[in-house]
Amino acid sequence: MKEMKYDVVVVGAGIAGPIVARNVAKSGYSVLLIDKKPAIGTPKQCAEGISIKVFEKYDIPYDKRFINREIYGAKLYSPSGYELELRYKEASGVILERKVFDKMLAYYAAKAGADVLARTEALDVIRKDGRIAGIKAKHEDETVEIHADVIVAADGVESTIARKAGINTYAPPHEFDSSYEYEMLIEGYDPDLIHLWFGNEVAPRGYVWVFPKDEDRANVGIGINSDNPQTAKYYLDKWLKENNIPAKKILEVNVGVVPVGGFVKELVKDNILVVGDAARQVNPMHGGGMAEAMEAGTIASKWIVKALEEEDLALLRNYTTEWWETDGERLQKVLKVRKVTEKLSDEDLDLFIQILSGADAEKIAGGDYGEVIKALLKHPKVILSPRRIKLLRELL
Amino acid sequence: MPEKIKVIVNEDRCYLCGGCAGVCPTLAIEVHSSGWEFLQDKCISCRICISACPVGALSAEPLEVSE
Repeated sequence: MKEMKYDVVVVGAGIAGPIVARNVAKSGYSVLLIDKKPAIGTPKQCAEGISIKVFEKYDIPYDKRFINREIYGAKLYSPSGYELELRYKEASGVILERKVFDKMLAYYAAKAGADVLARTEALDVIRKDGRIAGIKAKHEDETVEIHADVIVAADGVESTIARKAGINTYAPPHEFDSSYEYEMLIEGYDPDLIHLWFGNEVAPRGYVWVFPKDEDRANVGIGINSDNPQTAKYYLDKWLKENNIPAKKILEVNVGVVPVGGFVKELVKDNILVVGDAARQVNPMHGGGMAEAMEAGTIASKWIVKALEEEDLALLRNYTTEWWETDGERLQKVLKVRKVTEKLSDEDLDLFIQILSGADAEKIAGGDYGEVIKALLKHPKVILSPRRIKLLRELL
Repeated sequence: MPEKIKVIVNEDRCYLCGGCAGVCPTLAIEVHSSGWEFLQDKCISCRICISACPVGALSAEPLEVSE
């Protein structure tokens, strides 16, 4: 059996893992980043949309090799077909090519000094003298013992290593969404906008999305509550059929579950940290988790470097504290909003999208939700409904 | 007391996405790069994995109890 020794081992090369590996390696510590997939980034489980702000914020090159398309806003569709368009003059987001993006993030980690091993599956943790001293992994047919002072579980929604290390990442099924997506040829939708369809019959608790990757090519997907008796695939195929969209030019099928119902409380146990989807650090409103993974990875790597510098692993616990005081607090508020929107009927969705004017759309685009809710509260059809007033007030 | 079950996978439908392993409360499912694995001794027959699968690749059959 082969043995290795590093300061830090990172399990999982999605988004959070390579960010941690890159940042820690930059500070001069030895890091190994492993991923069970033979090709990092493949298959993807993602709609691939991300805010344009993340490139500068997390020091990621704005590289055309992994950017399919710049996006200028969004269009929302209510159950009865009312539309609300939010369009910016400048590009507000991009649709990535995750298979290239993830691999390039691992490449940046490697360039910063980290070792990277694809097709290396973490099997279990190694316990020694009452603490976790590393992980046992398998690279092709060879068992490897990787000893490390710090172990980072960035192993996605399965969070096997985090759970085997004793971090409680479990959540009940209602706190996950099941999602299913085709990358396919599709026409008739403005390719400069992302498109979102809402409705309890369309996508229970979630939405259908069209994220354009080209003039006539897009990720067309759906997320629904994972404890639904029907599958996500059933709802997406139904939507395509009802909208007369032919599904016969399909380039990819992507599936997965998304943790949208809350966040792992203790992100650190001794010398183990959990980041990204494994820590359920996902925006509960839209189910996107890339920016959240980048933020968590940045905070985690800062405390790993400090702990190694000061030779005091107790400092790792500050990752939990800092995350909960910053992004955690923000996401808790988003979760509260999500729980309220879950109660909206199709009639509510129709009405709200119908009465939001262009000026209100500007406010939504600017993130000024409070003003939008105040505008909705003034509308006669809202004033006459105590239930709607109650729901909207919960959002303020 | 729920009926004891064995979870089975339809390999032609499964994408090895790991969702079932992620929602399993007892780590009774492992999704390796090479395949899907069910650990009967850990399963508590809650069926969460079956409903969470985005493509309906999982199903249950009653577990034969030895007399």
